[in-house]
Amino acid sequence: MNTTQQTARVGLFFLLGVALVWVTFETLSDGKIFEEHTKTLIAGFGDLKQLKTGDEVRLAGVKVGSVAKTRLAGRRAEALLQIDPKVPIASDASASIVMSGLIGGNYISIDMGSSGAPPLPDGAEIRTVETPDLNTLMSEIGGLGKQLQDSLGSFSKALNGDGKAGGGIIQKLDKLVTDNSSRVDATMSNLQEITGKINRGEGTLGKLVNDPKLHDELLATVAEIRSTATQAKEFVSNAEAMMDQVKSGQGPLGTLVYDQKAADDIKASIANIRSVSDKLAKGEGTLGKLINDPGLYNNAQVTIKKVDRALDGLSDSGPITAVGIVANALF
Amino acid sequence: MDSPCCSKTRNPFTGAEANAVGVHVDKVSKTYSGVSVLSNISFDVQPGEIFVLMGPSGSGKSVLLRQIAGLERPTAGSITVDGQDPSLEETRDRVRLALVFQAGALFNSLSVYDNLALYPREHRSGTEASIKERVMHALRILSVEDAAKKFPSELSGGMKKRVSIARALVMEPQLLLYDEPTSELDPVMSATISEIIATLKNEYSVTSIVVTHDRSLALTIANRVGILMEGKLITLGTPQELRDTKNPKLVDFLYPKIDLQNPRFKKLETQETP
Amino acid sequence: MKQLYAILEGVGSVVQLLVRSLSYWATIPRQRARFIEQCYMIGYTTLPIVAILSFFIGTVLALEAGYAMSDFGAKEFIGSLVGLSMARELGPMMTAVLLAGRVGSAITAELASMKVYQEIDALTTMNIPAAKILVLPRLAAVLVMMPVLIIIANIVGWFGGSVVARYVSYVGISPEAYFAALRHYTKFKDVMNGMEKAEVFGFVVVLVCCDIGLNTRGGPREIGAAVTRAVVVSLILILVLDYFVTKILL
Repeated sequence: MNTTQQTARVGLFFLLGVALVWVTFETLSDGKIFEEHTKTLIAGFGDLKQLKTGDEVRLAGVKVGSVAKTRLAGRRAEALLQIDPKVPIASDASASIVMSGLIGGNYISIDMGSSGAPPLPDGAEIRTVETPDLNTLMSEIGGLGKQLQDSLGSFSKALNGDGKAGGGIIQKLDKLVTDNSSRVDATMSNLQEITGKINRGEGTLGKLVNDPKLHDELLATVAEIRSTATQAKEFVSNAEAMMDQVKSGQGPLGTLVYDQKAADDIKASIANIRSVSDKLAKGEGTLGKLINDPGLYNNAQVTIKKVDRALDGLSDSGPITAVGIVANALF
Repeated sequence: MDSPCCSKTRNPFTGAEANAVGVHVDKVSKTYSGVSVLSNISFDVQPGEIFVLMGPSGSGKSVLLRQIAGLERPTAGSITVDGQDPSLEETRDRVRLALVFQAGALFNSLSVYDNLALYPREHRSGTEASIKERVMHALRILSVEDAAKKFPSELSGGMKKRVSIARALVMEPQLLLYDEPTSELDPVMSATISEIIATLKNEYSVTSIVVTHDRSLALTIANRVGILMEGKLITLGTPQELRDTKNPKLVDFLYPKIDLQNPRFKKLETQETP
Repeated sequence: MKQLYAILEGVGSVVQLLVRSLSYWATIPRQRARFIEQCYMIGYTTLPIVAILSFFIGTVLALEAGYAMSDFGAKEFIGSLVGLSMARELGPMMTAVLLAGRVGSAITAELASMKVYQEIDALTTMNIPAAKILVLPRLAAVLVMMPVLIIIANIVGWFGGSVVARYVSYVGISPEAYFAALRHYTKFKDVMNGMEKAEVFGFVVVLVCCDIGLNTRGGPREIGAAVTRAVVVSLILILVLDYFVTKILL
């Protein structure tokens, strides 16, 4: 082979190489060889997070440029954005750093802004919005979980007691009802007996009601009736005091126990208690039955245990579950 | 045979004159990993003189020649060419010395023409046209102008040697060193080489050092002959003095007897016919 | 101890050769013909083997990446993996290895034979430094040719990967998706990075092979030994340099 041919081949080879380098450059860098033809915008953030040089800039999701440089400027971090000059960025548009995926990089997202706003000139500063990134999100979820755990813990403590004297609301209520049950029962049976006697015309009152001859004796018995009424009044005041206590426990109970039946039971029983004095003659012992029914207490206990278990689960598996939650949310 | 007289060398192509150079070898010894090759050799080569080094194979003459050419340095003693160390680039820059290698040492990747043109081209002496004239002239002197376009691998041993001498001539040397210039050559070509060496000396006063086995060459062209044996310079004199020598070792070396009744060969024969 | 001394001697010899060669840099324009010849040897004649090897490196990368990534649905990243590993690491390194095997060995063989047959000595007596006419044109040629080889190796390797991504059943990614991923993660900076690496590799390989060739002693049998030594030393140097050059360039 002669020298000229060799020279020509080497020349061709070299030019091919130069051409390929140029093509690669154009393809990979989107022809940034004409850098003077790009528009630069400054975006200041409190924290650039994982944003790095070369990341994309998207206007409403369409790539319009890239991050040319990241730098510190005083108390904030700035990203220099190189934007295609043919794309106008509205002056009221705002930029934010968006995560493109859990393992993907970040990009800067710019919204359209309003239609009437003038475009930003070269070198202008664009408004920015700080968005939480994955790490912030994670720490917030963690804090939320902790708060939830704390509040539920104190709630269950209030309900069940913390082992000290007195106990929780449930225990107090239980104790009150149990202590007074015999007295309430006795009162009830007494009342039942009295009204029965009246109906059958037995005794002084019955005779008074049923026998007109005894009308004269009515006045004599009024004193007795009065004393009975006094006794009844005493009972009503007792019942009212008890009611107040139930009322004070009503709020948390209502929130916690969403068993509709139980709630209805409680409401009904309270109504019954209120009308105890009116229903003295009936003497059906509704209140006593309700109070002595162990179903309510057990229901409450089971529910609280369930909530407790759920909380334990949350605190045990902690961040992994949180990631799972976030991952579920993201995908 | 004319005695050396001139103190100037003349360029065989341009006629430009330059100083003839002398060589001074002073108490030179050379050892290769403990084995002594040369020991305590001293002699002078006068400017414009033909000095022939003879000796049996392995006597160290080629090593001595390489040291004079500056390719190797003596272990002890010193060698100077025109008063300077030939292994220094500056010396070789100032004094043009050429070495004709025994095997030619032509550049195998270059054509014969390019082999000869390499030196003037690299040292930028003259235009391409003048270089061509010089190269062709040198090839004509050695009657190898037909080989100009060939590559060394296409040449016979004798052709290579002649091209190699031509390449040395193109360098317009002031000091010309020959390593076995007539080996591998036929008697006619050997005679031509002898003539060239003598002509260069007589016409142009080029100082020449010739290493050879060739007794007739040595005794014909030499001004002085040194004989090396086992790394020692055992004699130094004119060809006439050598012819007259009575030293039996030298006589054996210069005029070896061919003894067909040598017991060594007899022993061989008897072994072959048991 | 003897070995250590030999290594130090080698390093010293290479550095000396480098300094001597570079001191003649101004003669490159006059040595145009030799430079072109070496460009032809180093670049043009090495191209086919570089292209073939890069193509198959690209395919193997895509195969392996596809196999590993299809398990967790990240096949879209095959393009970026092939793109980056070709550009940053495998393109330069494998081209340098081929250069050592094909060009480096040839350089050592040629210079060792010149040394053994006394051509180097002839140059010395002519006062033409071997560093000037034998080493310098090769160093210049490798610097010019290496980027060309690398860019071809990269592009051929990338296409090799895209072929596998398209036609191998368990990968099955369209060339568009493959090249989009490649373009998204491979920057021109990465290609440049690979070229800088390759320049260092190529320069060192040629320099070391020249040095080993010029320091050959003895008979023709030593030529073979010198070639073996040159290739082994070159390969070791490529891998060692790879670490440090990568570290510096990162």
